[in-house]
Amino acid sequence: MRWVETEETVRFNEVDQWGMAWYGHYLAWFEVGRMALLRRFRLLPEDMVALGFIAPVIRVKCDYKHPASSGDRIVIRTSVVKPEIAALIFKFEILLKETRTLLAKGETTQVLLNTERKMIYRLRGEVEKRIHELVSYCREA
Amino acid sequence: MKEVVNDLEGLRAFLKEMIIETLKLEDVTAEEIGNDSPLFGDGLGLDSIDALELVVAIEKHFDVIIEDEDVGKRAFASIDALCEFIREQTVGG
Repeated sequence: MRWVETEETVRFNEVDQWGMAWYGHYLAWFEVGRMALLRRFRLLPEDMVALGFIAPVIRVKCDYKHPASSGDRIVIRTSVVKPEIAALIFKFEILLKETRTLLAKGETTQVLLNTERKMIYRLRGEVEKRIHELVSYCREA
Repeated sequence: MKEVVNDLEGLRAFLKEMIIETLKLEDVTAEEIGNDSPLFGDGLGLDSIDALELVVAIEKHFDVIIEDEDVGKRAFASIDALCEFIREQTVGG
């Protein structure tokens, strides 16, 4: 599985009163990783809209392993798994840059809706081609 | 598979087992799934990801494609609706 890595710094306003990164921010960091990967395959939200689709997240999983602190440099690792179903399933790992300590790992699932906001059960055409390219890229070791 | 499609009782039983197995519904038995009760929402309470999983299973077993939610709404209305949909799509196949 190939991962795309993106770096961020934990901001002061992202930690709670215990000095740890607030759990909800991890989802925003997943988003940073997802956008970096989608950009390479012209599958950003605006590209999706141009193709006649939107791709809302309908499921999120996140396991928190170790706390991050304000000022920490973090690495967001993002990949995509081959979907059996007409969905986009992203995997994430967030590491502390300095020690490569695993801070959190997670997964999001997105489905595709057409312009009438109806769910697509089968991928076809250009969107299928681009998703296939994305999945193939992530499957390469 | 063609014999199953032609036998309504057999097809109902097959689809109920397929749904339970595909979606790993541990608390549901085939007997508890009514032939005309809705599979989504108030009935079995399946969700949109379940629909995507069932579409793949149906395509695998019957070579019948359910393109989108519009078609799915009709096909997944109930077990009997699904039987009818599969039979329609496999006529002469």
